[in-house]
Amino acid sequence: MLNKHLDCSAKTREAARHPGHSRGWGTRLESNISSLLTAAEQGDSSVGEALFSALYSELHRVAQRELARQGAPASLGATTLLHEAYLDIVARDGPSFPDRARFMAYAARVMRGLIIDHARNRRALKRGGQFEITSLATDVGEHVADDRELTSISEALDELAKLEPGLAEIVDLKFFCGFSFAEIAGMRSVSERTVQRNWEKARIYLHRTIRADLSC
Amino acid sequence: MSTLSPDQWQAVSPYLDQALSLTEEQRAPWLASLWEQDPALARHLQTLLEEHRALAQDGFLEQGPVAAPDELGRAGRQIGAYTLVSTIGQGGMGTVWLAERSDGRFERRAAVKFLSLGVTGRGGEERFKREGSILGRLAHPHIAQLLDAGVSQQGQPYLVLEHVEGEQIDEYCDQRMLDVEARVRLFLDVLGAVAHAHANLIVHRDLKPSNVLVRNDGQVKLLDFGIAKLLEDEGQAAASTLLTQQAGGALTPAYAAPEQVTGAPVTTATDVYALGVLLYVLLTGQHPAGPATRSPADLVKAIVDTEPAHASSVVTAAGAETELATGNAAQRASTPDKLRRLLRGDLDTILAKALKKNPQERYASVMAFADDLRRYLGHEPISARPDTVAYRAGKFLRRHWLPVAATALVVASLAGGLYEVNRERVISQRRFSDVRQLANKLFDIDVQVRELPGNTKTRQLIVNTAQEYLRRLNADARGDSDLALEVGSAYMQLARVQGVPIASNLGQMDEAEQNLRIAQGFIESVLKAQPGNRTAMLRAAQIAHDRMILARFRGQYDEAVSLAGKAAELLENFHAGKGDQAEASAILNTYLNAADQFGTEQHFEEALRLCARGTELAKTFNLPANAGSFLWVSAKVFRQRGDLDAARKAIHESTALLDPGPAWITQGKQTQSFQLALIYEGRILGEDNSVSLGQSEEAVKSLERAFRIADEFVHRDPNDQSSRGRLAMAGMSLGDLLRHSDAPRALEIYDHTLRHLAEIKGNMNLERYEVRLLSGSTYPLQSLGRPVEARRRLDTAFEHLKQLNFYPADKIYAASEAEDAVRALGDYEASNGDIPGALRVYEQLLDSIQPGKSGLQPDLDDAMHLSTIYGAAAALYRRAGRADREEALGVQRRDLWLEWDRKLPNNAFVRRQLGAANLP
Repeated sequence: MLNKHLDCSAKTREAARHPGHSRGWGTRLESNISSLLTAAEQGDSSVGEALFSALYSELHRVAQRELARQGAPASLGATTLLHEAYLDIVARDGPSFPDRARFMAYAARVMRGLIIDHARNRRALKRGGQFEITSLATDVGEHVADDRELTSISEALDELAKLEPGLAEIVDLKFFCGFSFAEIAGMRSVSERTVQRNWEKARIYLHRTIRADLSC
Repeated sequence: MSTLSPDQWQAVSPYLDQALSLTEEQRAPWLASLWEQDPALARHLQTLLEEHRALAQDGFLEQGPVAAPDELGRAGRQIGAYTLVSTIGQGGMGTVWLAERSDGRFERRAAVKFLSLGVTGRGGEERFKREGSILGRLAHPHIAQLLDAGVSQQGQPYLVLEHVEGEQIDEYCDQRMLDVEARVRLFLDVLGAVAHAHANLIVHRDLKPSNVLVRNDGQVKLLDFGIAKLLEDEGQAAASTLLTQQAGGALTPAYAAPEQVTGAPVTTATDVYALGVLLYVLLTGQHPAGPATRSPADLVKAIVDTEPAHASSVVTAAGAETELATGNAAQRASTPDKLRRLLRGDLDTILAKALKKNPQERYASVMAFADDLRRYLGHEPISARPDTVAYRAGKFLRRHWLPVAATALVVASLAGGLYEVNRERVISQRRFSDVRQLANKLFDIDVQVRELPGNTKTRQLIVNTAQEYLRRLNADARGDSDLALEVGSAYMQLARVQGVPIASNLGQMDEAEQNLRIAQGFIESVLKAQPGNRTAMLRAAQIAHDRMILARFRGQYDEAVSLAGKAAELLENFHAGKGDQAEASAILNTYLNAADQFGTEQHFEEALRLCARGTELAKTFNLPANAGSFLWVSAKVFRQRGDLDAARKAIHESTALLDPGPAWITQGKQTQSFQLALIYEGRILGEDNSVSLGQSEEAVKSLERAFRIADEFVHRDPNDQSSRGRLAMAGMSLGDLLRHSDAPRALEIYDHTLRHLAEIKGNMNLERYEVRLLSGSTYPLQSLGRPVEARRRLDTAFEHLKQLNFYPADKIYAASEAEDAVRALGDYEASNGDIPGALRVYEQLLDSIQPGKSGLQPDLDDAMHLSTIYGAAAALYRRAGRADREEALGVQRRDLWLEWDRKLPNNAFVRRQLGAANLP
């Protein structure tokens, strides 16, 4: 399932370089995420992949822009990134765009793919390049997540999404995008306690699935 | 652990919603009711909820893959005389920023290190600054200067350090393929810097490659001098700091010396050790503790226990490792064989001396270490000598002694190791065998600790950690018989420390019972797969035994005797012999208590048979003290049978074998058995109102001794509940005896015992003794003319009985706490002149008295109590002038003994009672 994401993202990058070869819908999608969202919500399953690709390249673009603006920050704030992307899209697509909460629900899922790609690139960088060792920078990397670990979480999350999509969404928002319980509760108009309970429930499922995968 | 199928998830999902919406307190009863409706679902749910608790504790998925932007540092912020430029690192200790001097007077860059550890504490700010300024005076070309230390306005401690651009020393050497000689020369610069710091009385404490940088121009720079100390709270031991850091995951003690692990004082010798590790790594490319992929638990064990292999022996390798060895050698401009020859001899000896476990055997100073390396480079004889046989023997002795501080660390690192297992999700067989060894070690420690009173806190720490850690192994142990056997045994051990009253324990009987059931499940699964597994057979017997003991202490007698039968049967099948020497005490204790249980249930023949088998085995194993215990149980059985002469003979033999002599205080376990034997010696010789020979004076001697010993143990460990139990037994029998001859002394004994019992709450067994002692103490209080106090104590006794659910009740069992209290009440009324009141109490007692305990045949002791009640009530009726009732009770009493005369024909004791009953 995750591989599909990666294929997607590769495709998106490809599409960005060669807009003409993107099987026709690339341009349309990138220009109008709001209509894709609407179609997806109306149950048009064929747009799912397209929406993913469109959001991926959108988020990627915003990330690049932020990186350029801030120099080289120690980390990339996922929450900021999503908010920035939302503002950009609303500015472009106009007021017809669905509300922020619905956007976040989709985008968080896409963000997950972006983060895993990011972690994978970082690992490649760490292996190949010779770091300039600076004073005291001894423990760098302690908190950088392992992309393989993230991949296994992501796979388990896809399984969960088939059973209880709502739970999977919370994990995307909380774990991958760093939203607080209060923010998520606000988006979905439920109590914070409910969000937390769902999060705990999802966590049990994920742990089970990840552990089982490893023992076989 | 299995994954949840969609169906399973759908089934459990709504219940999980419900469970998670309840608080912990609400959840237990909810789950309990679910157990009744659907046990399978409830079990599944419980497992998931336990997992949930563990996940919450571990913070599983709590920290997102993308770190939140640092709140504390912001580019452009002013810290002292410096302006932050950008972050250059983030680690366990905190964030490091590149900074520039703000005033522009010096073109100087610096590194500002914010410490995220909250270890400075209250009042620590001043100390932090003061010590920082001391470190700031440390000036040496090879030491990175500490420029400033302080606490930011937000209360965040920070250090400003000279900014060094360079590489870690090991990477620097590898990259430039420096040979052994060049590495040693570079290392001598490191030693020079450390020696300078030592001369200024500053110990580094955290020397490791990442703190030793080499600049492009080849200049060595040591970082973070003395900072480890700065992070310690005043008065806080090094071990606890290490613990904190371990718990926070900041420090892997790869370069920690044994004394840092065990909490012994840190000195300059600590740096010598770390430098030894560093040189070992530089010369061989390997850590002295072995291969690099280790859990903290392995590491701690290796640091304390394992003598490192000679450097020369680790650089050559066969098979899969060949490539690594060749690569390592190539980075040292050599081949594995050449490298081995280079290291063999002097360098091996020098490294071994720097890496000694005992700080005093290491180089006395960094200078001495450097001198030997210079001699090596100059081909002169070195000062260090290779290890001798005597040294190795000394080391062996040391290895078997582990201070309590180390216990805590082993526990912490154990948890750390498991965390590692989970985090990396690498569950290899090798790791598990290490974890197993650590489990055994943990309980070895407890066994050592348990022999000496005064360490309940440490034991509780061990219990908590072990419980958590076993819980994590549960899933993996299913289907793996070897591991299931280990885990099952460990659960049994854990239960014993918690609350099986066979040795000093923490009094947590419910937890103990729960863990025993889990243990039983594991062992049964092993026996199913391997019916002939002897260890599993013995464990099964032991678990049945432990549960028997718990059932007995909880008053579940039927359960207890059926478990005794089970334990005996399992032991029978086990058929112990000479070859089971290692398990001797486990086998003998199981026999002993099963025999005792049979005795209590008046299965005399079975009890004596097991005693005989046990005595024989104790002789086979050459354990006279154990034979003493079997004789004690035999004596109890003989006494119950009314065979007091045989009982006296056996108990005298028993106390003689068990007497530890003047060394009693250090012989914890044997002394416990000795106390029990003494108490029974006293009871056989002369217990009041009981089956005894009536030799009060002799009895007092035995009981006084038991009382003194128990009292000493109670004083040594205020939390030791089992010693309190023995104090209560001795105090009760002693008080009951003395109150006839010496009321003040009897009251003293009762009160002393009651004071110690009141110190412990919630132990039902002790509470029962409290009732007996309160009741008993009313007699001397009456004779001393203190009826008000006597009345108050009776009220307290009845209050306890109510809480215990023993009284008010339809039935009062003979020789029970309730009988003691009711009789004491009747006697109290009588001695205050209220004969009708006393008679009302006795009539009620006669109505509700049961001649034996629930579900058990009455024994001789019960008969004795019944007889006393008849006698006392008859005496009251005589005082009231009711000859008819007096006579009727006299007949009842005589009939009781006539019946016993039929049960135990020609028994001297019964005949004596019969004679007394026939008197007018």
